[in-house]
Amino acid sequence: MLSKRIIPCLLLKDHRLVKTKKFKNPNYIGDPCNTIRIFNELEVDELILLDINSHSNNHEINYSLLKDIATEAFMPMSYGGGIRTLDQARKIFEIGFEKIILNSLIFSSPSTVKKIVDEFGSQAVAASVDYKHNFFNKKNYVYINSGKINTGILVLDYCKNLMNLEIGEIFLTSINREGTWSGFDIETIEKIEKNVNVPLIAHGGCGSSEDIKTLLKLDICSLGIGSLVVYSKKDKGVLINMPNRFNV
Amino acid sequence: MITIVNYGIGNLGSMLNMFRHIGVKATIESDPVIIQKAEKLVLPGVGSFDAAMNNINSIAGLRDVLDYKALAERIPILGVCLGMQLLTRFSEEGKEPGLGWIPSRTCRFPKHTNLKVPHMGWNVALPNKPNLLTKQLSDNSRFYFVHSYYVKVDDPVHSIMRTHYDIDFDSAIEKDNIYGVQFHPEKSHKNGMQILKNFSLI
Amino acid sequence: MKTLEITSHICSRCIYDNRISNISFDKQGVCNYCHQIDSLADEYGTGMAKGEQLLAKIIEDIRHVGKKKKYDCIIGVSGGTDSSYLLLKAKEWKLRPLAVHYDNTWNSALATMNIKKVTSALDIDLFTYVVDNKEVDDIKKSFLLAGVAEFDADTDIAFVQVLRSTAAKYGIRYILEGHSFITEGISPVGSNYLDGAYVADIHDRFGSKKRKTFPNLTFYQFMKWILVYRQKFIRPLWYIDYSKESARQELIIKTGWQYYGGHHLENRASEFAHTVWLPKKFKVDLRNLTLAANVRRGVMDKKTALSLYNQTIVPQLGLIDYVKKRIDISDAQYHQIMSGPIRTWRNFYTYKKRFERLRPLFYLLAKANLVPTSFYLKYCLPEKIIQ
Repeated sequence: MLSKRIIPCLLLKDHRLVKTKKFKNPNYIGDPCNTIRIFNELEVDELILLDINSHSNNHEINYSLLKDIATEAFMPMSYGGGIRTLDQARKIFEIGFEKIILNSLIFSSPSTVKKIVDEFGSQAVAASVDYKHNFFNKKNYVYINSGKINTGILVLDYCKNLMNLEIGEIFLTSINREGTWSGFDIETIEKIEKNVNVPLIAHGGCGSSEDIKTLLKLDICSLGIGSLVVYSKKDKGVLINMPNRFNV
Repeated sequence: MITIVNYGIGNLGSMLNMFRHIGVKATIESDPVIIQKAEKLVLPGVGSFDAAMNNINSIAGLRDVLDYKALAERIPILGVCLGMQLLTRFSEEGKEPGLGWIPSRTCRFPKHTNLKVPHMGWNVALPNKPNLLTKQLSDNSRFYFVHSYYVKVDDPVHSIMRTHYDIDFDSAIEKDNIYGVQFHPEKSHKNGMQILKNFSLI
Repeated sequence: MKTLEITSHICSRCIYDNRISNISFDKQGVCNYCHQIDSLADEYGTGMAKGEQLLAKIIEDIRHVGKKKKYDCIIGVSGGTDSSYLLLKAKEWKLRPLAVHYDNTWNSALATMNIKKVTSALDIDLFTYVVDNKEVDDIKKSFLLAGVAEFDADTDIAFVQVLRSTAAKYGIRYILEGHSFITEGISPVGSNYLDGAYVADIHDRFGSKKRKTFPNLTFYQFMKWILVYRQKFIRPLWYIDYSKESARQELIIKTGWQYYGGHHLENRASEFAHTVWLPKKFKVDLRNLTLAANVRRGVMDKKTALSLYNQTIVPQLGLIDYVKKRIDISDAQYHQIMSGPIRTWRNFYTYKKRFERLRPLFYLLAKANLVPTSFYLKYCLPEKIIQ
């Protein structure tokens, strides 16, 4: 039986780990290598690392830092942030990451995405889909560039179209709920899960073990947790931790 | 000293990193002349069966050295993930014959809508007979798997671990000095370290 | 250079021997450090009715002074036995503590998970101050380049500054800390030294980055906390019967806390200091502090303590590689540092002379519980150079 996937999602900005709220106001969390070393000590099953600065000018993927980070982990890790070319993807795999996460590239150059999938296999490529709720028409739209640009595409349509690119899984983040401890956007997650044929990693809003249990009960077996693993409690001090696997 | 064979496929750094972490000396080598002197070999691999076999067969002298080390000199060899599938006679994934060191074949997972392929994630590999490679592993030892094809041994005596994913398949195999594991020990924390440590002591 | 051989002159009561700086022995062969512990135990009434009464009075004052505040005391936490146990006791004493942690970005999982388990189980809020990782790595590097023993001085100093500044921020007078002289002993004068000036001088001379986030405890800051904010630094474990072993049992049962089987393993920097830096470069083995304390307490016999002490320390696999990675030095540079010159705090600028000049003032401040007595003993008494 495949284990349920409860995946810590960490955000990288320059040489530091940070945590945002609704994709804004990055708060300093600590050292990337040490934090991943801690998660390795805790034997987490897998981990996601995203560089949130990848849309700033002159951004270059920090291969040297990623190499330092990769050598801290004896579990599979995924990296996303600024991957635009086949060559960059190759370098990330060579460094030791199991999977890459593509976001803006899917929107700007699906043909490059296809090339990457063809070369490395669909199981090595995930699509990151960030969406925001429009409170006027009550619809969810996909945003790219770290939540700054509205593509105008409905999240359900976007995810359905992703199936054509043969990516291996979808990392779905609710921008409204990210960093808020208010619980997952279950309605949207369930709707998308029914309409795609790849694993869906639900992310954004997890505030407790109960939130995790709720999702697992709905047979959604992969989820990402952010604030829960870097803070001791909502609005309280930084503390790297992992909920007990057996409590969920 | 463990020699990890670099035939142009796979990320070898993680494997090297884990050996280093458990205090076992290991190097990565691509030159058949140096591989010739190896005491123990690890054969890694990711991606497609044919691409891997073509690489091995096209590097001058490599195939001969590997066959010699495996079948004549009979040093301990560990095939990992695709590396284990290469030990079989052939794979339903491709056209090229495998190394054929262990009588077995590589098959596609059954096709039906409920089964998500590849088999990707942490799953239990159950040791099914006492074996040097699986010492000190508990019955519900979990490992990280990512593969779309699985291995089936001709003779059950060569199966040393079994895993269930829709069907039951051989997640680790062994014949004399040759071992294979379908999962990635270098991504499987303590259990992976135990496997590599056990291999280093064979 | 001193080596870790057994010498003939060992205290008849604990295991300190004549290699310990400023040690002396009485007619019965008992060392002055044992006497120091005895007199502290007497003064604080450790484990006796006197201690209980003194502590009860302090607790009452904490509750009284902090009545209208959200928290009535600050408790510094590290994930280790002492501070975790203190959180447990604080709840028993019906205090409303704020747990405060200084994160030097070198924590191990044991530290963070233990802090998580204990604060969750006891429903205690946590405040964390995280220093900039590159800044702290630069400070650590400067200590290695300086070749002084106090590799983790910056953490110890910053910890105190964070406790005190957080107390000030929340308007809290009382700071509780989990040190126990019975279980840990008093570290001998002259063996190591730390203050804010020392950290600054070393970093100024051997570092390359500016200090922007590092919370240094300067003399000015120190006096501000004591004289203006009148913060009281209390060590409750000095008053009560405290056994680490039964504390651990209680913590495990009540909070799911985990024992990591060794001192200083909760932080990789102090682990490096204790298992590599001090033994390999300085031939100093600080296990004697706890071992001596165990012998004094009667929980370990002298023979066992000595045999443990004579076993070579084996650092965890991968620790040195991690340090090289964080500090960003090559194998060759590391080797150079380990075999490089040794310096002491006396080669750098510190507040020591100033503290000695202000001895009468600090004597009074210690009596008023505004500084710990251990501070007075260590910083204000002049060093006796014994030949």
